[in-house]
Amino acid sequence: MTVWPLKFRERRDGKFLLTDDAGGFFLSDQSFLERYVGNNLSSADQTFLRENGHSFEWEGDPDWTAFAYRWARRQSKQQELSYVILVPTLRCNLTCGYCQVSRAPETAQGFDWSEETLNGALRLIGAMKGPRIKVEFQGGEPLLRVDLLEQIRSFARARFPGSQFVVCTNLQRLGEREWAYLDQADTFVSTSLDGDRNTHQRQRTNDDATTDAFFNNLADAVRRLGPGKVSALPTIDVDEPPDFEELVGNFERYGIQSIYLRPINHQGFARRRRSDPHSIAKWNKLHSSFIDYLIDQNHRTGRYVEEYYFSQCLRRFLRSGADDHVDLRNPNFFASDYIVIDHDGQLYPTDEARMLSRIGRVDLSIGTVTAGIDQAKIQLLNHASLNNFDPDCIHCAYQPFCGTDVVDDLSRDGRIDLVRTDTWFCQRHMRLFDKVIEVISRRDEPALRSVAKWARVPSWGDHMIPVHT
Amino acid sequence: MIPLRLKIETDAVDPYVVRLRSCEGMPEPLANVSSLDAALATADGEKALFTGAAGSLHLFGIDPSEVDGDVVFVVPWRKTAHRLIRANSRHNTLLITERCDQLCVMCSQPPKKQHVDMFPFFETAVLLAPENSTIGLSGGEPTLFKSELFEFLRKTMKQRRDIDFHILTNAQHFERDDRAKLRDLDLSRILWGVPVYSSDSTIHDHIVGKPGAFDQVRSNLSLLCEAGAKIELRTVLMKPNAPGLLDLARFVTAALPFIDTWAIMQLENIGYGRKNWHSLFFDNSLGFDLVSKALDFSISRGIDTKLYNFPLCTVPADYRAFAPSTISDWKRAYVEDCVDCSLRNECGGFFEWHPKVHGYGRFGVA
Ligand code: SF4
Ligand code: SF4
Repeated sequence: MTVWPLKFRERRDGKFLLTDDAGGFFLSDQSFLERYVGNNLSSADQTFLRENGHSFEWEGDPDWTAFAYRWARRQSKQQELSYVILVPTLRCNLTCGYCQVSRAPETAQGFDWSEETLNGALRLIGAMKGPRIKVEFQGGEPLLRVDLLEQIRSFARARFPGSQFVVCTNLQRLGEREWAYLDQADTFVSTSLDGDRNTHQRQRTNDDATTDAFFNNLADAVRRLGPGKVSALPTIDVDEPPDFEELVGNFERYGIQSIYLRPINHQGFARRRRSDPHSIAKWNKLHSSFIDYLIDQNHRTGRYVEEYYFSQCLRRFLRSGADDHVDLRNPNFFASDYIVIDHDGQLYPTDEARMLSRIGRVDLSIGTVTAGIDQAKIQLLNHASLNNFDPDCIHCAYQPFCGTDVVDDLSRDGRIDLVRTDTWFCQRHMRLFDKVIEVISRRDEPALRSVAKWARVPSWGDHMIPVHT
Repeated sequence: MIPLRLKIETDAVDPYVVRLRSCEGMPEPLANVSSLDAALATADGEKALFTGAAGSLHLFGIDPSEVDGDVVFVVPWRKTAHRLIRANSRHNTLLITERCDQLCVMCSQPPKKQHVDMFPFFETAVLLAPENSTIGLSGGEPTLFKSELFEFLRKTMKQRRDIDFHILTNAQHFERDDRAKLRDLDLSRILWGVPVYSSDSTIHDHIVGKPGAFDQVRSNLSLLCEAGAKIELRTVLMKPNAPGLLDLARFVTAALPFIDTWAIMQLENIGYGRKNWHSLFFDNSLGFDLVSKALDFSISRGIDTKLYNFPLCTVPADYRAFAPSTISDWKRAYVEDCVDCSLRNECGGFFEWHPKVHGYGRFGVA
């Protein structure tokens, strides 16, 4: 019998998590680890390993094939372009503290798509294969150019049987034309709601009248567009986090039960302001206590709110495939299924790459909408965009569940040949998966219930985690 | 019950396949098969006359509008026509053979020794089937006639690109060389329904009545995976295998991760299932724990898992979303307690041959 390589990570309680490259996992103890490392597996060990999918007899036998299949399902594939992020204007009618870099003043000139860029964007969308596509409008405040949004939408609707539109708007100022645009079955709203009112005002709206306008519009949007049509993201300043209770209450009030906590975007000016090396530790702590808060709160209310990214990581730990979130996949191919078209017609692989290029740190544009995609540059980025051979990741028990983020590495450290475990990305995900393991092994009723909801299964318990001693 | 066999009279001598057409305004038939249609000529209260290239055909005791578009197999000397494909049913199954090399304790259609080769007739029938149908192939064990089966699939799938197949097989008879033949077919249009009852080979072999069957099905499922086949794993839940269902779930996620669906099915009270009912029927309304743990586990690992043929009220509320209504309406029945049930629209009820004393300890929605 051959055992596929196992990697391990010690937990705080002295137990060990063991995983293989195909994402198989179990909990065990020090003595098993010693038997494994010392090549002294007992027959009970061997039976367990075979039944839990960690071994095979000969290449090509059913156990081998099953493992190969599970391994392959853990790798993300190159996909057809089906999703575009469009920045029709960089102009905005707010001046949020963390966003100067991706905005221009509302009255500024030369920050909108030219006629040529619009036509290029239409050509690029028209060349997508379909039948289902997604268009996301970013900014700036995209509704300042609702005319462009209208043109894009009617074009895409006519061209594809299934198209979906997401407008990332600050919901600050909406006239009849803007409301009419949003109020369509295929169109969704994504906005920012930074937790409680005070935080929102401090970080985004500055004065009472503007804050009121936002909250009124948000309430109107939820009412007019219906449930499920409006989503919101809180951007969190780890030094001044919002009150959890108010944050969750605020989201629930608007019918939103999935909350994606995001640390203030370090690309751009915000980065220069906050270069605290301990900020990742602070963030991890904050995030972890938010998860604990949710578990308690969910149990009290009987309503199940989730932290979006944590649930993604949880499901990704348990299974392959279904939850292939763009922020967490491996290999992480660029310009494969989605691409960004900036206000000046430049193409970027991600929105972060766009902002990073904008502050002049590194040019991550991958072509222009008129000249097309620069394949050589994409190849270059893709080469570095997998964790399978990273000298640190190969030893990490979380490698099959984790991802990779070249752009994030570049933005924080200016290079990618880093000790992985020193990076923000790694430290964030290491703790996230630690938290996943901690939470799925909790036995108290509140945790069992939240985990079941987050994992999308009817109930959770001891039977869900293989344990071998 | 809908009659599957019709009383007929015909002047033909040899058996043949024909499609009945009794309504006007039907879409024009495919040019190459219109000669295989028989159109309604006259009808009165008790009989209907259909005429076509194959001669005239009298049908007794059925309203001709009910058989419109049906593909029937006419056996003159027996004075019967078998409705091979009923146009308004989504569940048409062709019985490839009555032979089988397994003898399952709950078999709903116990095998017989004799075999009549029906492939030529089935080929015609498939060509005449309504657009976009899914045709079931079953038995007995269809792959006992593997080369004929492959040839049948190759031909019909080429001529009818809109048709899908659902093939029930015990997967005992594939060999490594078959991978190439399988890949020649459009495998995205075939779902292979393969039963596995337990991860314990002794229990599985006992249930199917064949020593070595577990090892064989295991390696052939692997082979189907290599070929790229779509697989529906089927597990009839019974007393002998219910306690091992969680282990089976673990086995499925680790060893059979490539299946498309795992169907856990409640027992049918027919054939050997009826004969052995008391030693086999597992009352999930009282012992759902065994089922729920298996469901939790396999769903969490990303296996699309479903409960087939479970009356909804016997399933705890949290698990009902995984119990679609699977009993087709023509063989579905409800019992007395179902009268005021609020779940009735989503519930598949019982097979109509299920005893009225249904055997569930906890039943009905409070
Ligand atoms: S980035 Fe860090 S957490 Fe992720 S696989 Fe690599 S070493 Fe592990
Ligand atoms: S009472 Fe009858 S209709 Fe209602 S859930 Fe039970 S079986 Fe189904």
